[in-house]
Amino acid sequence: MTTIIETKKKVRLEIDGKTVLAPEGATILEAARAVGVRIPTLCYHEALSPIGSCRVCVVEVEGVDRPATACNTQALDGMRVATRSERLFNLRREVIRMILAHHPLNCSPCPKNGDCELQDIAYEYDLAPNDFGSYSIKTEEYPWKEFSTPILDYHPRRCVLCGRCVKVCKEIRGLGAITMAGPGALASIQPALADPESPSRCVSCGECMRVCPVNAIEERMGGGKGKPWETEKTATTCAYCGVGCSLELNVVNGKVVGVTTDDATGVNKGRLCSKGRFGYAFIHSGERLSKPLIRNEKGELEETTWTKALTRVAREFRRSIAEHGPDSIAGLSSARCTNEENYLFQRFIRQAIGSNNVDHCARL
Amino acid sequence: MAKVILGSWRDDVTDNRGLKKSAIPEAFKGLKEFESGNDILAFMGWDGFFLFDRDAPVVDMARAYVEKAQEESCGYCTPCRVGTKVVAEKLAALADGHGRREDIDAIRSMAAVIRDASMCELGHTSMTALLKMMELAPEAFEEAVAGRAPVKRGNYRAMATAPCIEACPAHLDIPEYVDAIRSGNYYESLAIIGRKNPLAGVCGRVCVRPCEFVCRREELDEAISIKHLKRFVNDQIVSYVSARSKPLEEIPSASGKKAAIIGAGPCGLTAAFYLKRKGHEVHIFEDLREPGGMSAVGIPDYRLPRDVISSEVRRISEIGVKFHYGKRLGRDLSLSQLETEYDSVLISVGAHGSKSVGMEGEDANSEGYVAGVTFLRDLNLLHHIGEFKPPEGTRVVVVGGGNVAMDCARSAVRLGYSKVSVVYRRTQKEMPADHEEIEGAMEEGVEFLFLTHPVRIDAEAGKVKGITCVKMDLGEPDASGRRRPVEVKGSDFFIECDIVIPAIGQSSDFSFLSDGSGIETTKWGTIAVDDNTMMTGRDRVFAGGDCVSGPAALIDAMGHGLRVAHCMDQRMRGEKMSMPEAERMFRLLKTMSLPQAPVNRLGNKARCRLEMRPARERTSDFVEIERGLKPDEAIREAERCLRCYRIALFATEE
Repeated sequence: MTTIIETKKKVRLEIDGKTVLAPEGATILEAARAVGVRIPTLCYHEALSPIGSCRVCVVEVEGVDRPATACNTQALDGMRVATRSERLFNLRREVIRMILAHHPLNCSPCPKNGDCELQDIAYEYDLAPNDFGSYSIKTEEYPWKEFSTPILDYHPRRCVLCGRCVKVCKEIRGLGAITMAGPGALASIQPALADPESPSRCVSCGECMRVCPVNAIEERMGGGKGKPWETEKTATTCAYCGVGCSLELNVVNGKVVGVTTDDATGVNKGRLCSKGRFGYAFIHSGERLSKPLIRNEKGELEETTWTKALTRVAREFRRSIAEHGPDSIAGLSSARCTNEENYLFQRFIRQAIGSNNVDHCARL
Repeated sequence: MAKVILGSWRDDVTDNRGLKKSAIPEAFKGLKEFESGNDILAFMGWDGFFLFDRDAPVVDMARAYVEKAQEESCGYCTPCRVGTKVVAEKLAALADGHGRREDIDAIRSMAAVIRDASMCELGHTSMTALLKMMELAPEAFEEAVAGRAPVKRGNYRAMATAPCIEACPAHLDIPEYVDAIRSGNYYESLAIIGRKNPLAGVCGRVCVRPCEFVCRREELDEAISIKHLKRFVNDQIVSYVSARSKPLEEIPSASGKKAAIIGAGPCGLTAAFYLKRKGHEVHIFEDLREPGGMSAVGIPDYRLPRDVISSEVRRISEIGVKFHYGKRLGRDLSLSQLETEYDSVLISVGAHGSKSVGMEGEDANSEGYVAGVTFLRDLNLLHHIGEFKPPEGTRVVVVGGGNVAMDCARSAVRLGYSKVSVVYRRTQKEMPADHEEIEGAMEEGVEFLFLTHPVRIDAEAGKVKGITCVKMDLGEPDASGRRRPVEVKGSDFFIECDIVIPAIGQSSDFSFLSDGSGIETTKWGTIAVDDNTMMTGRDRVFAGGDCVSGPAALIDAMGHGLRVAHCMDQRMRGEKMSMPEAERMFRLLKTMSLPQAPVNRLGNKARCRLEMRPARERTSDFVEIERGLKPDEAIREAERCLRCYRIALFATEE
């Protein structure tokens, strides 16, 4: 049995009248969640350090006039926090109105419709399109520009500037390829100023797309992805390499239209690389090898059975070993196999064939 | 003097419209004109506003102010990004004469949201003046609603500033580059510094950091380590770029004009950098065999390694600035010769001479008497090539309490003298040196004799044998606000020593100036320049740095370099010379010296401490003693910045 020794000091604070013992260094939001007090958030994402940009999670701390953001304010001993008041409700509602002031409100054509965090929070704060009359602002049309990569599209009008994408690129991918740049209402997500010799550090992993609450970053592949409610999600393991990331194939009408992940599942905890996230088009490719083929005397590939094909391979191996020795055979394995498969493969080449000529594509 | 008609600062209202209220008349001394012949009509700031003229265009001014806030908004948080845009558009509608009654209420409620929910001080303060104006002068807004009187339009000078930006002599945009570090964009951060400061690595090590002394984070916990952040971002990029060793691209000299700069110190280098970027051909003439001026020969390597200076100078020369070493004005060059060959000349020769203490028996020729600047210069030029011959003896007394005195004392420890003492006439509290330097010296075993004033050098046969001092007591405060030391009668005592290093002040050598040159010097032994243009009495000849200000900090000289380069550029292009507008506004703000609002936020994040090499290890060599911040420490430190951005706006007559 393991004994967990609590080495961290605790702080005692009060949130909406409830006493909370929180580990030192915890934020007000974390402390509140621990006792089941819900504070609405938008830019906050559990996999990332607090951002504090949307200002939806404002709370009142006794003794400080200005509301503090719960996501990035440290819980301190003796603090008295109120998460609900008329003033806070109004502030949050106004802030969400501001966010929506330049976000397109015709939700129905949006693929995120029904699975959109902004939609949810606007609904919670009872905001409808006709609430925006006095907030309408003349944001200039943004030029439709390529967002660093041929795989990802960025829609500045949809973007709520939460900053999650910037954080995930920096903290999870460790790249810092994108940044948020103003001025003011014209702010948008842009490639970060790298050094002049490498203008973009983006590798199209799509992590930014994963954390985007509103589909402002969208993959360019396919189109017609179906609505969240008609999508069937099949949990599986990525076939690209031995890491074995968990992912969900999004299937609409029997066709894979995209890949999503669950933040809590698998070794990857929601993260994927470019291949795992976008490399699914091959599934329905007509070029895909799905049956064994043997080249006939005329040099054409002919469909055959597995038994025939494998017998032929075994016979040719034996012939080659008999005529030229085992070193005439070399094995090259793939990174798409698991560790175990690769292990078996090299055992096969070394022991069954008798050759040490074995290698792996990831080493090339 | 500008008299306030109506104004408010931190809810302290002054109202002199008619006799309705009997508020005390308030006025700003020294504030009247923006520039000569252009009166200031009104001011809008972060804690209120002042109208100095009955006809000040209230509504239009508010529009200009909020538009500036929107322009300066970084776009990070929602209320400031969107809210200021909405308010600006509504104010513009009012100013255009098609505003509606309900717009006024909408502005008021939106302004309150921006003030309460924004992330940084820009949002917290950008609505204060507007809300107060709507409260104290509601009629101006009512009248603006369509159908009433047309709205007066005005002329405005607006900028975003912050206490740290105002305190920095070069007015670096500190919150912006700190913010770039926070988001991990080191290259961008260095580019922001590089707009005004070509010596980030030097400043990041030895700047006296006026910015940190006004940092408002101090009210919550501790000021942020601006200096260390600058060093961090410089070292990150420099090690990255030099690893690939690609030189910068040369900037072509497109203007066809040539500038000569005398002295490759901080002022000269900064000016050269900016003049080059403006497209001029720039030549620097330097007496010594290496660049950096006082930063190279006045600061020992353990604080500022010489390769830091050389790598920054290399970048300046890569963009095309030409360096000529071993050329001294008055010996190898003459001013008239330079004037014929160049379109403008900058004198930035620094202050490399030493002031004497005024002790009895003080003779520069005595063996064992070495001026602080001379000691440091010889050490810096010769020690790394093994040719430095330290003055002979075992006991050293350094006179003075500034950074130069600390540099001398700590260098002396490193040279292996058995006892090093510092003699200072006031107490530790009044010492002008950085407290890190004083503490560092104490750790290294330097003895401090406070409230001690040297009165006589005792020499035998031209060789120093000791120094006689008297004890002092602190009396009444003097002009500098420090308590004046008074001699305690009969308290004389003798310190036996072989070497005396006076480090109480520096002076410039102007032997190159001939009579009738038109260049005047002041009674403080500095070159007289026009405060507005930094030009000397002689056309096309400018001056800056220590030789104008008297011995000052590195960043002061760099600030001079920026200002003088601005005017040299104007002069060479044949434009009217004037101080940069921002500089003028910074000065006006200083004149107003408005009281600061307390920081009403939550703190509790201590500043990152730098790791130092232990005293025992570091006293035997001149290797840098401070380790830089690590990336995670730097980001944590950058996150402590409150971003005290605020908008200042002057409404002017023209």
